[in-house]
Amino acid sequence: MSAKILIIDDEPDMLIMLEMIITDKTAYQVVTTTNPLELPELLAQENFNLVITDLKMPAKDGIEVIETVKSHNPDIPVVVITAFGTLESAEEAVRRGAYDFITKPFRKEQILVAIARALEWQRITQENRELRNRMEAEKTAAKTSGPPGD
Amino acid sequence: MKLLNLFRRKKPSAAAAGEEFFKKKYQSFKNLLEANNAALEVMSHMEATQEGDYVFDLQFIRASAESILEKVQTIVQELNTLGDNRYAELVKVYQNIAAKIQNETEAAPPSLSVPLVLPLSQVDRRFLLQVGGKNANLGEIKNRLQLPTPEGFVLTNEAYRLVLAENRLTEPLASLVKELDIDNIEQLTEKSQILREMLLPAKIPQRLVEEVNQQYGQLVAALNYEPYLALRSSGLYEDLESSFAGQFLTVLNVPFDRFFPSYLEVLASQFTPTALVYLSQKRLLQRQLAMSVGCLAMVPARSSGVMFTADPTGSRGDVLVIDAAWGLGPAVVDGTLTPDHYVLSKQPALDLLEQQISRKPRRWIAADRGIAEEAVPLEEGSQPALTRDELLTLGRYALQLEEYFGSPQDIEFSVDLQGRIILLQSRPLTLLTPRATGILPPHLEERHPVLLDHGTVACFGVAAGPVFMVDHQADLSHFPDGAILVARHTTARYGAVLHKAAGMVIDIGSATSHLAILAREFKLPALVDTGKATQVLRPGQEITVDANQIRVYDGRLEEILQAPVAKTSLLAETPIYARLRRVLRWITPLRLTDPKLANFTPAACQTLHDITRFAHQMAVTEMFELGEQARQGEVHMVQLQTNIPLNLYIIDLGGGIRADHRGRFVSPEDITSIPLRALWRGISHPEISWAGPIPIDMRGLYSVVSRSLTAAAPQHADFWARTLAIVSENYLNYSSRLGYHFATIDALVSDVRNDNYLSFRFKGGAADESRRGRRARFLGEVLTRLDLEVDITGDLVVARLWKYPRPLLEEKLDLLGRLMGCARQRDMVMADESTVEWYIQAFLEGNYRFAGEPGSVANPDQG
Repeated sequence: MSAKILIIDDEPDMLIMLEMIITDKTAYQVVTTTNPLELPELLAQENFNLVITDLKMPAKDGIEVIETVKSHNPDIPVVVITAFGTLESAEEAVRRGAYDFITKPFRKEQILVAIARALEWQRITQENRELRNRMEAEKTAAKTSGPPGD
Repeated sequence: MKLLNLFRRKKPSAAAAGEEFFKKKYQSFKNLLEANNAALEVMSHMEATQEGDYVFDLQFIRASAESILEKVQTIVQELNTLGDNRYAELVKVYQNIAAKIQNETEAAPPSLSVPLVLPLSQVDRRFLLQVGGKNANLGEIKNRLQLPTPEGFVLTNEAYRLVLAENRLTEPLASLVKELDIDNIEQLTEKSQILREMLLPAKIPQRLVEEVNQQYGQLVAALNYEPYLALRSSGLYEDLESSFAGQFLTVLNVPFDRFFPSYLEVLASQFTPTALVYLSQKRLLQRQLAMSVGCLAMVPARSSGVMFTADPTGSRGDVLVIDAAWGLGPAVVDGTLTPDHYVLSKQPALDLLEQQISRKPRRWIAADRGIAEEAVPLEEGSQPALTRDELLTLGRYALQLEEYFGSPQDIEFSVDLQGRIILLQSRPLTLLTPRATGILPPHLEERHPVLLDHGTVACFGVAAGPVFMVDHQADLSHFPDGAILVARHTTARYGAVLHKAAGMVIDIGSATSHLAILAREFKLPALVDTGKATQVLRPGQEITVDANQIRVYDGRLEEILQAPVAKTSLLAETPIYARLRRVLRWITPLRLTDPKLANFTPAACQTLHDITRFAHQMAVTEMFELGEQARQGEVHMVQLQTNIPLNLYIIDLGGGIRADHRGRFVSPEDITSIPLRALWRGISHPEISWAGPIPIDMRGLYSVVSRSLTAAAPQHADFWARTLAIVSENYLNYSSRLGYHFATIDALVSDVRNDNYLSFRFKGGAADESRRGRRARFLGEVLTRLDLEVDITGDLVVARLWKYPRPLLEEKLDLLGRLMGCARQRDMVMADESTVEWYIQAFLEGNYRFAGEPGSVANPDQG
């Protein structure tokens, strides 16, 4: 099953380019919106593996997007796109839980690499969580059913 | 030397001779050089971005352009300081170019309340997101170019959003559109119908009604009568980079009491199956749910037509193509008749080259509350729809529009009953280059009879598939993948199946019709005006369409079927790249190359690059002048006497030349400037050859020659080869221009290690871009291995070094001198990547004569 990516940017130009690069080079499914206020609804409708967001948007800034995504599901990585010369806010975004950031203008390979890494992180995180859950479950099962007899 | 005479002052004033005066001028010169270097750096960066593969936004374009503008402004100011305001003309030239750039990068001022309605007299491209591409372009034509356009007003996207919101339609429409499957025509038609039915009964918000009434009132007041209106749709990206030809509705001759129902009809037209398919193909579906509508006073048209500022099929250069018919516009673009066809030359003068006058039996006219088709009297039907004068006026407008919008344009116009031309829209034209069909196999026609050999190319290419005849809407739902669309007319709604079709053959219609434009956008081999395709071809029959040779064959001709052109769009075709290209045409092209030519003047500067080139040259000239004047004072200029053809002038700020040698000429031994002495050691290294031509291979020579055809041709390679060094005991500023190259060194070398620095820049070259790139790589690699910090952008090489001890910096300057000598024309020989590595090694090994050069032609007879 191919990964689903949500891209949020108030500039349609950015969405057109990002969607073009991703769908031309990968099998990932892309959903885009210029309106960050649609985020909660989009998260509720579909299971996204990754969210890419612009940091500076009029309706809702990227930091709020990170918070919304993380409270919905902490395992969804968020990659933040920042304008040139705003390194500080990019670092702030990472402190607030963004997986990675990428500064405009960037080469198309850069975003593809960032996506691949973020999805890999998401896969491992989820596997870890499942593994942990299974171990927890086994532990609990062992406790309730008592020591295995011979 | 005319230039020098121009600026030679009669007599130096007493103040001019003073050291303080010179130092002030020198500060201006330094500021100018610094701004020049910085501007070139940002230009190179923008150029590299334009090559593709980058993701950027308008903010990047705006910030980069502003940064260059600021630096060029400094350059112009400092040049005027340096030259006592003798370059005031350059200020105006700069302002003019700056205005053009800002026009491209501006956005509408952010305002809290977006207006629902705007008069057309206030619309321009800054309001793109509110009014859509078509209206924004029309506003530009009206308000910036001041060409004749109708009066009117625009209902913005905000009005559309308000209609949806107040009728609670926003969400339902979006979710219906989201799940569309464009390959399922039946589902598409069904959903399209639902979408329309949701929108058409919508209630118009009171605020919108009031604003429209007010705008119409103003229109009536301005025109002195109550005009009927033409309602023209304008999508967000329409007419910018995607043509949207014929996708959305235009309603003509609407009386004001029918305004809002017609408005809703136009809004609903974005949900026709054709429009939905087009939007999806252009990846705009998610974003296109917004539409602005232009409401223009109706032009009672005697004739109407479309005009292309280039041959749309790309087979003829430098012509304008005009198609026209009687009455209102639809007759020309909807393909129901063959319009008159005119071809005009653009060069050397605008002139009518040829015309094909068709019989135009019918025309659309404004009728009571709408439009109606009527028969044209027989004798009138065969007359040309445009006069020669009208054609030439149209041609002039077309050239203006093409120049202004920066790319070939597709223009719609009408001519009113008094013979006045009115422009209705202008949008970018999709061009295709012809492709040759391979050599046809012998006896081909015995196996594959030619079924059609007459028609007009709408899009080049070869395709094969079964014939699928279409004549009304119902047929489209069964259109099979890979079929050839065959129809009587070029009806735009066939656009709904173009993404499934392999090719297209049409009986009647022109290459300028909407369907033909769409065929080109989808790169679909297509012939129009074949006359009898629907009679000759049978449904299901396997045919091969060879649009390159205007032939339709029976059966599949595998021999000539070319690999289909990929339909995926490229990054470079996106609107933001187009915007960057439009901005860059005022920034980077360099037309001003040879200062010896008479046009090396401020007035000839068309780009910021031209201004930097001009200003730099003049600044150096000014410094020479100042140096000559100041010879008697503290500061003085001397010329270096040497066998090396460098023509080096030195301005000594103090301590750079032996105090007891103050004549006009000095010898290298008289140099006391530490950095210049070190550099000179390298330049005069016995193994470096500065004289004579260097061997070049034939392709290298060709690339120089072909570049010279577009730029001004230098009379010899080292033209204008005066090199200027401004020195003191510890300081060196060295700028040289050899042929097309431009190298500067700025260095401070003293015993105080923390003050020391070295900066080297190299740009330009006579050879083509890839060769210049190779030389940049050569220089960059060598400099890196010499421990400098190197930055390469395009053909600009910047290398720096800080806080090195004096002996090490002297050594680097020595090596830089050798490197400049070697790099003098090195780009001509570097024919491929592998040779670059060879040169790097050779230089590092001290083989400065490059013995055994791989690219050289030892004997011209062999070349």
